Formats: sequence, structure tokens, C-alpha cells
Amino acid sequence: MRSRLRQLSAYGIASVVVALSTAIAYAAEPYSELGDLAVVHLLAIVLLATKFSLRVSVFACFLSILSLDFVFIPPRFEFAWTDAKGGLTFVAMMVVACVISSLTERLRREKQVARDAAVRAEALFQLHVDLSTATDDRQLEAITSRHLEHLLSAKVTILLGAPEVWSRVGTSEADLRLAEKAWARRELISEAEPGNASTWIPLIGLNEELGVIGVFSNELLASDPTRTFFLSACANQFVSAVERVRLANAVHRTQLEAEGERLRNSLLSAVSHDLKTPLTSIIAAGQTYLSGISHASDVQRGLVATMVGEGERLHRLINNLLSLARLESPIIELRKTTEAVDEIVLASIARLRSPTGEQRIVLRMDSDLPLVRVEPLLLEQVLLNLVENAKRYAGSNAQIQIHAKAVNGVLAIQVSDDGPGIAEDELDKVFEKFYRGRSAGKADGGVGLGLTICRAIIRAHGGRIWIQPRHGGGTVVEFTLPAAEGLALDKLDEDKLAS
Amino acid sequence: MTKHVVLVVEDDSVMLGVLTLALRNQGYQVVPAGTGRAALAEVNLRPPDAMILDLGLPDIDGFEVASAVRGRYELPIIVLSARDGEEDQIRALDTGANDYVTKPFREGELMARVRAALRRPIPLSERREICVADLRIDCLERTVRVREQEVTLTRTEFDLLYLLAKNANQVVSHRQLLREVWGTRGAEDVHYLRVYMRNLRQKIEEDPADPRRIVTALGVGYRLAAFEDEDTL
Repeated sequence: MRSRLRQLSAYGIASVVVALSTAIAYAAEPYSELGDLAVVHLLAIVLLATKFSLRVSVFACFLSILSLDFVFIPPRFEFAWTDAKGGLTFVAMMVVACVISSLTERLRREKQVARDAAVRAEALFQLHVDLSTATDDRQLEAITSRHLEHLLSAKVTILLGAPEVWSRVGTSEADLRLAEKAWARRELISEAEPGNASTWIPLIGLNEELGVIGVFSNELLASDPTRTFFLSACANQFVSAVERVRLANAVHRTQLEAEGERLRNSLLSAVSHDLKTPLTSIIAAGQTYLSGISHASDVQRGLVATMVGEGERLHRLINNLLSLARLESPIIELRKTTEAVDEIVLASIARLRSPTGEQRIVLRMDSDLPLVRVEPLLLEQVLLNLVENAKRYAGSNAQIQIHAKAVNGVLAIQVSDDGPGIAEDELDKVFEKFYRGRSAGKADGGVGLGLTICRAIIRAHGGRIWIQPRHGGGTVVEFTLPAAEGLALDKLDEDKLAS
Repeated sequence: MTKHVVLVVEDDSVMLGVLTLALRNQGYQVVPAGTGRAALAEVNLRPPDAMILDLGLPDIDGFEVASAVRGRYELPIIVLSARDGEEDQIRALDTGANDYVTKPFREGELMARVRAALRRPIPLSERREICVADLRIDCLERTVRVREQEVTLTRTEFDLLYLLAKNANQVVSHRQLLREVWGTRGAEDVHYLRVYMRNLRQKIEEDPADPRRIVTALGVGYRLAAFEDEDTL
């Protein structure tokens, strides 16, 4: 409507200008020839052509020719064409008007294109600046949809994530179907009804699709390639901003974790050192007393032996707590080596042989045991805990048996006792932290960490651990460890031949 | 008989006191040192017969003390380290320590190590025959007699046993065994060691299911125990 008015006013202005130039020419007529008068009109037309469209120029040109004919060419004040005089001038005027106005029109068009491009670049830049201040997905979404709505004069919806997590509120089923299509095909999808068009563009990230952007407008966006291009440029900006923010957040989280881990480790090692140093002195002092003071009475010996025994147990408890803390940390690194399990079992048993009396432990180790990849001291800790548990719950006279065997290429170790056994309903609970069996005495000093530690260690090595009643009374704890793989012994046979 | 002199290097004064008492109790003359520098000065002044060395010292770390002493003296060095410090133990053995005891140690265990270290016959390399407990190893003929019975060992088994016997009562680290017996094997080939040790134990142990001769030092290496009476740990 407005452009129509502008066109009409352009014709009006053109008419006025031609009238003015006619007036000037009329005033100048006594001193000029017809060619000069035509030049006055030509000037007016040139002026108009630089300002208005080709049509207006041609219109002004005709108007000028008519006025020249009517006013100046005899018979004057009459539309009559008696001779060819002035014909060439008219043709020249027409050509000049056409050339100039088409040139200016083209210039004007190029200027418009350049201005549009500048506006878009500016808009993209502004979007980029705004996006760089955002710190999470929600802010990015808000900024992007605000910019797009403003620039495309359309309603914009951003759906992040896979279709399963999209918010269904505020988007019609038909639109959601289109959105899913765009997501699945990874391409722009649009559909238009009269006065209502929607366009969906997928957000394609480096490794995965991040979501879709929907644009709802009156006319179809796809019909205007520059606007479509602009939309995809904005979508790309949005994608890289989302990925930047997510990466930055991930880096930040990792840094926090690493920092927490460092703190935890230094705290643990400080605590462990500060607790263990005096304990070591206490144990060594007690043992020196026991072995060196020959005139000590049995009562004195008994008391000191208790000190030593309890000190050693406290030490094991500290080790259990430290191992648990280590195994529960998000970043554990096991110092695994290839081990023969029979060696570890024997070394553990050797550590249990107390100077005062030997627990009856029966070993049964099959000959075909596979090698395993374990951290030897952790596996030793498992065995020590299991044997100590068996002692505590089955009584000091119980017979403890350790049986190592290979089952389908997996190493299985059973630690069993012939004590009173365990209630059916306790079987699952005993591995929980700080759970203590009902048959445990109040004063036995256990805190219920032994089996928790065992489970944590075995799981960290890719094995399983469970507890069950023993056939014929007592309890069996069994755990498995995967066999070490890819161990070739290339010189074994050759060596056998050489001997 | 003159008393053996044992230098004890430990920064924790309570522990130093306990160690001093324990060793004196067993009839040793004890020279205590609270720092690495004091220990080195003491060694240079009058070399002791053996040295007990804590790895965590306030001034110079224990590894440096061990290697400085090893550079000039033959005296046996027993390192005290945390139970979970296999890396420290291996490093200590590699830098010149002869043995290690983990904290908290049993007094009997430490004394057994000290006795073994002091009894260690030194110039083994020139001898033709090495006798360790009930083993007689003929280095020239490359034959082994166990409890007066000749046993047939493969070349590799013999090399392993010979290396352990040369360092009887000391822990020989996995790395050292792999390097000296196979030459090219690195720490990732420790499974060779497991398999050959199993075979070797089958041949020389009285009860292979309960080996007392070749003792496993968990995570570190192996030790050939020479003295039946006191070295069962």
C-alpha cells in the first residue's frame, strides 16, 4: 500500500518537474532555440532518472515531448506534428532517459543487496557476540530464538536433544512430525499452507545431532534463498556455541574432579602416614618387649601381646579404609601385574602365621591355575580379610580352607569355614558397608568393612564375589578373577629342548 | 667375639628408639642416625657391618643414601618401607639395597633379616660351588643337587636358581631376574617368571605346595631363603 503511494507520488513529482522545466523553457524561449529548450527538459529527465524508476523516467520523457510539442513547436499550443523537426532530439531524450534510469536502477539494486548483506553480517556478528556470553544451553536457546525472531520476523522454536526428550508443549503434532523428519534426514524440511508456513532445520554437531530449529512465518522461508541461507548460518553459530559451552563445562568438571582427587589423595596419604607411624612404633616396641624381656611374667606378656595384636588389627583397619577410599575414587589406577595366584595365597598365609599360635588353614590349589592380572597387595588384602572374617565368625577352633581352582578359564577361589554359618537373609547384606553379621560379638572390634573392601577390590579387577552356606555347616565365600590374556611363552619349548 | 655394628637411619625418634632397643637386646652395637647426612658421615667415619635405612628422611631421600653407600662399601643395606610401597622397594633394590622389610614389621622378621645380612658370605662369584641350605649348585658343571639328589634343570631354570643363590637371602627384583636371565625381557614379561618359578619349585622344594626355599616377595621379586630356622617369613 505504502509502495503504491510512493509510486503515485513519484509520478506526481515527475509531472511537477516537467511542468517546472516547461515554465523555465517558456521564460527562456525569446533567447533560445528549440534544441536549448529540449536540453532544459533533458536535464529535468536526467534528474528524475537518477531518483526514480525507469517507468517514471519514460513517463517524464513522454510528458516533456508532449509539452515541447504543445508549447514550442509550431503550430503552438496545439498537438500537431507538421514536420520532422525535433524528432531526433526526442529520440535522444528517450534514449538518455532509459539508459540513465536503468543504470541508476541497477546501482540501487546492488546497493540494496549490499546493505542487506551488511545487515545480515552485522546480525550474525551480534548473535555471535551474544552467544559468547552465554554459559549454558538454556541461555543459548533464548539468545538464538530472540535474534532469529527479530531477523526473520517469524516465530522460532528450538528443540534440543533427541526427539525422545523434546518438550511437546507449544508445538503441534504435525510440526513435531516435521521436526522429527528433519532430525532423521539431517536436512531442511519445510511445509506451507496459505498464510502459515513452517521450516525445520537440523542442528548438526561434530559428533551428533544436537536438535532442530523450527521457524513459523506467513510465507515460505524456503522460497527466499538468502533467508534460508541466513537461517542455516544462524543455526551453525548456535551449534558451535552449544558445543563450545558443553566442552567448556566438561573441561571444568574434569578439572574439578582432578582437583578433588588430588586433595583426597594428599589427605589420605597424610592421614595414613600420620596414623601408621606411631602405630608401627607401638607394635615394634611391644614385640621387642615380648622377645627381649626374659623376666616378664605371663600376665605382663599377655597384656603386651594384646597390645601388639590389637595394634596390628588397627593397622589392617587403616589399610582397609585407605583401600576403600582409593577404590571408591572416580579415577582409580590399579598397579596390575601378571601374578600366579598360588604365590599370593602362600604369601598371605605366611603373614597370618602369628608367633603365638597357628590358625589351622588348609590349602588346596589345583595345578592348572591360570595366571591373573591383579595388584598383588590388593588380592592379598582380600585373602587376609576373608580369613580374618572366617576366624571371627567361626571361632578360633574352626578349620579354614582355601581352595583355588580353574573354572572355564576363570580363576575361582573359595575361602570356607566349618563354623555356625550364616543366616539366609544375611547373605546379601554382608557386603554392605558397616554391616555386621548378627553372630558377631559386640566386643570383637570388627567394623563391617572387610567384605565391602573385598567386593570393591574384586569388582575393580573384573571379578565377582558371593557368599553361601557351606554344605555340611559353615560358610563359603567364593570369588572369581578373569584369567590373564595374551600371554605367549615363546621360549618355553626351545628351552625344554636345550636341556 | 666383637659385637656387630648396625647403623640405624630413621627420622622418627620414637621408632629410632624402639629399633635401637630391639637391636641392642639382640646383642648388636647400634649407631643411631636421624638424617641421611648424619648417616653418610657415620658410614665414612667408621663403616658399620650393616645398615637399616628408612626411606623417608627429612634431608636426602633414602634412595640417595643407599646408592651413595653402595658406591663405596659392600655393607648390607636393609630398607624399611611402607607395606604398599612396592615401587619404593623395587627402586631401593635397584639402587643398591640388599633387602627390605615392610612396616609395620614383626620384630622377629627384622632380626632374621639382619642376621641373614650379616651372615651373608661375600665372595660368591669366584667359588665353584654354592651351598645354600639343602641346595648344592655346581657353577662349572651347571648341576644342582637337592638334599643329595641330583635334579635336572633346564638352562633357564638353572640361571634363575643360580642368580637367586648368588644373592641368597636377598630379594631379587622381577626386573633384575628378567634382565639377567633372559637379557631382553622387560617388566611386561613377568609371566615368564611365574611359569618358570612354578617349574623350579616343583623340582627343588620339599613340598612344592608350601614352598619354603624360594619365597615370594609380593609385587617385588623372589628370595632364596637360606636359613631354615629363622627365615620362614
